[in-house]
Amino acid sequence: MPIEYKKNRAVFRNEVSVEEAETLLEWLQDKPAAKVDLSALSYIHTAGLQVLMAAKTGIASWPKDAELRAWLEPALKSKT
Amino acid sequence: MSPLPMNPLLEQFLSEARDLLEVTGRKLLELEDAPGDQAILNELFRSVHTLKGNSGLFTFPEMTRVLHAGEDLLGMVRSGHTTYSRELADSLLEAMDFVGMLCGEIEDTGGIDASRSVAAQHMAEALRRQMPSQIPCDAAAVPSGSSAISPIAAIAQIPIEDSSAFMRSLLSAIPEAARMAALRQSRQGDQLHWIVYKPQRECFFHGDDPLNTARQTPGLLWGRILPSEPLPPLAELDTYSCVLAFHLLTAAPREELAEYCRYFSDQVEITAVSAQWLADEQRDDSTSTEAPMAGESFCQFSVDDRAVLERILATQRQILLLDDRPAWHAGRLKAVAAVLANLGQAAGDLSARSDIQAALNEALSTGRIALLVAWIDSHDSNIAEACFPCHPGSGDGIAATHAEGRADASPVPESGPTNAPAEDGINFGRRAEDNPNGPKSLKVDQAKVDRLMNLIGELVVSKNALPYLAERAESQYGVRELSRAIKGQYSIVNRIADEMQDAIMQVRMMAVSFVFQRFPRLVRDISRKLGKEVQLVLEGEQTEADKNIIESLADPLIHIVRNSLDHGLEPPEVRLAAGKPAIGKLTIRAAQEADRVTIEIVDDGKGIDPAEIKQKAYEKGIIDEATLERIGDREAINLIFAAGLSTASVVSDLSGRGVGMDVVRSAVEKINGTVLLESILGQGTTIRISLPLSMAVTQVMIVESDQQFFGVPMDHVVETVRIPRSAIRRIKHSQTAVLRGRIVPLKSLNALLGIAAIPRANSDDELAVLLVQAGNTELGLLVDGFQETIGVIQKPLNGFLSGLSAYSGSALMGDGSVLMILNIRELI
Repeated sequence: MPIEYKKNRAVFRNEVSVEEAETLLEWLQDKPAAKVDLSALSYIHTAGLQVLMAAKTGIASWPKDAELRAWLEPALKSKT
Repeated sequence: MSPLPMNPLLEQFLSEARDLLEVTGRKLLELEDAPGDQAILNELFRSVHTLKGNSGLFTFPEMTRVLHAGEDLLGMVRSGHTTYSRELADSLLEAMDFVGMLCGEIEDTGGIDASRSVAAQHMAEALRRQMPSQIPCDAAAVPSGSSAISPIAAIAQIPIEDSSAFMRSLLSAIPEAARMAALRQSRQGDQLHWIVYKPQRECFFHGDDPLNTARQTPGLLWGRILPSEPLPPLAELDTYSCVLAFHLLTAAPREELAEYCRYFSDQVEITAVSAQWLADEQRDDSTSTEAPMAGESFCQFSVDDRAVLERILATQRQILLLDDRPAWHAGRLKAVAAVLANLGQAAGDLSARSDIQAALNEALSTGRIALLVAWIDSHDSNIAEACFPCHPGSGDGIAATHAEGRADASPVPESGPTNAPAEDGINFGRRAEDNPNGPKSLKVDQAKVDRLMNLIGELVVSKNALPYLAERAESQYGVRELSRAIKGQYSIVNRIADEMQDAIMQVRMMAVSFVFQRFPRLVRDISRKLGKEVQLVLEGEQTEADKNIIESLADPLIHIVRNSLDHGLEPPEVRLAAGKPAIGKLTIRAAQEADRVTIEIVDDGKGIDPAEIKQKAYEKGIIDEATLERIGDREAINLIFAAGLSTASVVSDLSGRGVGMDVVRSAVEKINGTVLLESILGQGTTIRISLPLSMAVTQVMIVESDQQFFGVPMDHVVETVRIPRSAIRRIKHSQTAVLRGRIVPLKSLNALLGIAAIPRANSDDELAVLLVQAGNTELGLLVDGFQETIGVIQKPLNGFLSGLSAYSGSALMGDGSVLMILNIRELI
């Protein structure tokens, strides 16, 4: 599973495709205070990113992939 | 791309596109005569802009791309960044032709062939090459292009206008590291581009992943993700609707970007970024860090809002300055203060509330309203300044305007400065495109008008049956009263039918400007190709004629104009040597004369040498030796309408193949027109085309021969005479008669039609002669008798009958019989 849902934290791994977005949205709707761990993320579909942005999710750790982080950080940070 | 079904929207687009292209072409040429005319430029820009917008409704990336480039270029011209030149016009005209071709292709095949993409690319590049911002910013990397000004100087000359200011504000978002990298790239000679990529909402369903697309952009230097609209609350978020947009800065060349964006080119806006803008960012950053001023916060409102704000402020001031001191004065002050505080809050001015509270306290305790008035004044002036930098801080503003507030005892605020932005506000919301200025007209399919025309024709025919009926009522049944009543009704129906026919005819009427409008372009292109200077004068463009006539006029006219330009008008040197102005004059004049339209094409060129024509015609075997000796100059020059004759010694791609004028004549004659040429050697040539106004109704004279009736078009009829048999002389096998001092050849219609009967003479032994003319030939037709002249709707002969060249068509008579119309030209 690209996203592992824990109690109050979702761990993103490798590639998060468009199919994950719906589940992610539902999970975040249930747990507004949840944080996400993106450290192992290498690819996220726009739909998933959009959910994170809209949810203003707290980021536990940024992707190790510097290029991806450069994209995600301004987009997700500005909303927190 | 799969071919689109031809839906009504597409049909409308194509029809509009053609109109817009035509407008664009015309305006481009007009602009050539008046390069600085802002009104023309605006209209031009608008038409290209509308066209581009419309094309974006469909999946025609090629068309949109070219139009977009054209629009950008025109935008540059409009804002004064680049000047209008012939080369620029050339490339724009070419681009419009290309778009026109694409329209044709869409119409034929329902889509654009993918291979057009390359051509579109080249076209767009050619357009973009004309834009100054394409020049790389580093002076060292400037190619030896057309612009002599150093690009930095050029940019410095550019007044800061909306787009660059806007771009700067966008660029300010770029972090320092990325900005430096971009500047480095730019110094290496790479053109930077700013891409705004706004994916379609439903793009996820198409399998798009915009983020991935953005990440893969060639030459990407920096990018950011923004919501393209406020993100909805999580509960309402639709996962599968994309609400993100991307801003990207890349160093890739435009072609590469365009190729990359080929499939979503409608969702991206690519703007060339000047490195200067990037370099300037440092300054902008430092200024933007300053804390916002009190009054400045009003700037976030739109112009409309500001106008409203101003009115509110003015009203508050008026209330404050009221002289009376009623019992509720304190309440009034509080109310004003509350309004002001709310305004301040709405504008995000956090200090407003405390400032106003202090001012209110003072007003309540001392009765001095100066502080409140001052607050209004300081904010009012900020609003009036609209978007310009707002300087006064709240404290300073109060101090500075304090005295003014007191001095200005006038209770009514000055209306001048407050009204101006309000008017702006009205104009602001309305796009110029929403207000098209053109004649309102219906677009009707021609088939529908043709159907009406046919119905009218039938009505005319059945109407014509009424007199026969009246006659029958009288002669056969002996009811005279009824006969008279029928005749009375007939005259009414006749009048209505005539008017109706006239009305339909009017619908079919088209101004010759339909044909004329292409000449400015044609003349311009050809004369440039030939290196000649030509002034084209169009006259009587509003002259109208039937659509078919106008349409069939187009090709002959183009032939004639080409010939005039190629053979008629001389190059400037030759003209000057001949004592004529260097610029040749070509006049195309249309006028209506009775029921005919005449079109004259007049040039002041070298004219036609009759001797040369005679010689050429003789060499080509068009005339024999006897004719060569006999023929007059006027007839000789009209020989150029003969097939196979070309006056040009060299065949060019314009004319000289010896088909031109021949084609002209046959095309004109096909629509019952005549063409005549007059020329004075060394002074110019005039070609006069005379055409019927309408082909729908033909006036024919009915003649009788061997108990059959035939129609002869009135155009050909010269006169009707009766000649005594004794006056007819035989010269060898031909019969002739002397008529008003001229020898007229006579032929029997029966003989011409192969009817084995001799013409019948009347009781006085006179023969009926119908004198007809076709071209320059006159002939007396021997017939049995003349009947009336009627207007008929001529129907062409179809099927097997179409091979009968002796008849030009048939018409239905009122009594149901068929009248054959003679083709005089073929007969004689």
